[in-house]
Amino acid sequence: MRTARLLKHSLRSVGRYKLRSGFMMLGSLVGVAALTLVIAVGQGAERKLVSTVRQLFGGSSVLVIAGGGRLMGGPRGAPAGRMTLAEMEAVVKALPEVEAWDPQQGLAAEPVRHGDASATARVLGQSERTERVWNRSVTRGEPFDAAAVASSARVALIGETVARELFRDEDPLGGEIQIGGVRFRVVGLLERFGTDAHGMDRDNEVVVPISTLMRRVMNVDTIQAAKLLVKEPSRVEATAREVRRLLRDRHALAAGQPDDFTVITAVQVQRMVGKVERILFLFLPLVAAVSLVAGSVVSASLMLASVSARVAEIGLRRAVGARPGDIQTQFLLETALTALGGGLAGLVLGSAVAELVARRLALGGVFSWQALLAGIGAAAVTGLLAGVAPARRAARLQPADALR
Amino acid sequence: MIELATIDKTYTRPGGAPVRALNGVSLRIERGELVAITGASGSGKSTLMNVLGLLDRPTAGHYRLDGEDVSDLGVDALARLRNRRIGFVFQAFHLLPRTSALENVELPLLYSDRAAIQGLGRRALEAVGLADRVDHRPGELSGGQQQRVAIARALVNEPDLLLADEPTGNLDEGSAAEILAIFRSLHAAGRTIVIVTHDPAVAAHCERILRLEAGRLTADDRPAVAVVAAGEGA
Repeated sequence: MRTARLLKHSLRSVGRYKLRSGFMMLGSLVGVAALTLVIAVGQGAERKLVSTVRQLFGGSSVLVIAGGGRLMGGPRGAPAGRMTLAEMEAVVKALPEVEAWDPQQGLAAEPVRHGDASATARVLGQSERTERVWNRSVTRGEPFDAAAVASSARVALIGETVARELFRDEDPLGGEIQIGGVRFRVVGLLERFGTDAHGMDRDNEVVVPISTLMRRVMNVDTIQAAKLLVKEPSRVEATAREVRRLLRDRHALAAGQPDDFTVITAVQVQRMVGKVERILFLFLPLVAAVSLVAGSVVSASLMLASVSARVAEIGLRRAVGARPGDIQTQFLLETALTALGGGLAGLVLGSAVAELVARRLALGGVFSWQALLAGIGAAAVTGLLAGVAPARRAARLQPADALR
Repeated sequence: MIELATIDKTYTRPGGAPVRALNGVSLRIERGELVAITGASGSGKSTLMNVLGLLDRPTAGHYRLDGEDVSDLGVDALARLRNRRIGFVFQAFHLLPRTSALENVELPLLYSDRAAIQGLGRRALEAVGLADRVDHRPGELSGGQQQRVAIARALVNEPDLLLADEPTGNLDEGSAAEILAIFRSLHAAGRTIVIVTHDPAVAAHCERILRLEAGRLTADDRPAVAVVAAGEGA
């Protein structure tokens, strides 16, 4: 009864001093907004990273990339190395546990033309097994087959972005595009992918038979990478070691010489993702927590100033019957209410900015219960931290001194 | 109603000699009396008022309120007594700014255990003639009106004892006369009232005048009824 009356009274008191309450709210608002933003975006980024990795790797694949030290955290200045299609074919033939594989060669940013329209896209050369190995199919048309790869056919699969830029309202299927002076016929539209973990638009791609790209466009006998699918998930690490041994043999690397290629497995990628996560989930909330503490200090000093300015009011309340505990409760409630108000505003602001950031980075929805709970918890902690010292000081005032 | 027995109050200031604000003060005030406490500034009259109002505890001596010794009660028990038994009126009004007259008057009810508090604030404001100023804020009221709001606040819990510290000190003559008239009518209704003042004209309204000098009670006069009547004409 008495506490309920005090709560109502404190709420009105907060409302009466709008400027002071506003500044106090700002303290928790900034902290909670930062915390909410960091957690929501961090979780969104992590989900995106994990889903991209899963899409690329599945559970049981080995990725081989030409050149050493390609994995994050690997040695720098490792030797660049040649990796030919022929030797990769030989390596795979020696490994019965590989159930399927796909070589890859590509041009990162190549002009692609259709009539007068032109676009810059990533051009990838892959085998007919690409749909199975990379888990990406076509939504319209047909993927190219083994015969097309064997005969270096000039056929292409294009992504949504390329289709839009080159063909506009025209139907791209059966249309003709030019890459480095070579004409290709569009036979399929690639399944939509979106942005990958590096922020690259994976719909801005053209996939052609690897033989065609190597012979007719680039005139090389090397490949950039190969992805191997292993039958037994438990054999992935062993297969990766085997691939490494075979490639070192073929490249005649002496013991002690670093690899001139990189072998990556899902386990290693998970370790890499873990490293990124630790940064997101330890360092960034730390930054948010610092701003929260700063906000709390601001609120506390404003409340202390408010106690000093309201000494006579405190004396009067004591005179008309307030116990020291009532005074303490009132000031705690006032701080808690402003912190909560600021916290709620911060939650809304943080979520809104997180949504904007997520939309820009194409992270998908970022609403997070954890962010919501952390925000509310942070507001409560701010209020408590900021409120205790001023409330205790107010409660300790002697009524006779306060009324003087 | 009030019984003080050899009350001492000594203040110790850090780095200064102890100050003996009250020195062996003994007095009785009966129910329904209208008493003035006078004296020069520094004579200890504010300290006596704080002791009477349970805002400050004496260093030595005993204070009986309605027969109960209150000298050794804890802070919460004192707060409860102040809330139920004592009403305060101050020189500086001490109204909460930006807060309506009614809410100011109802402030003691916030700390009360009474269940039925509906309408008490409004009735107290009516009693001081401010029924039409219920929603006004202190800034929108004259000094005299503000002090009437403060008196309504002191009365809202229907206390036995009303303590007023220089209640007319911040007011012009006309407003002061209004306030004193309210005190006289409350006295006529049987309330016990103690007014602390340095102003002889205010003290002249009271039927009993106590004088303090350097912490000692030096006079306890009961002027003739005629003086009160003369004061009424002023």
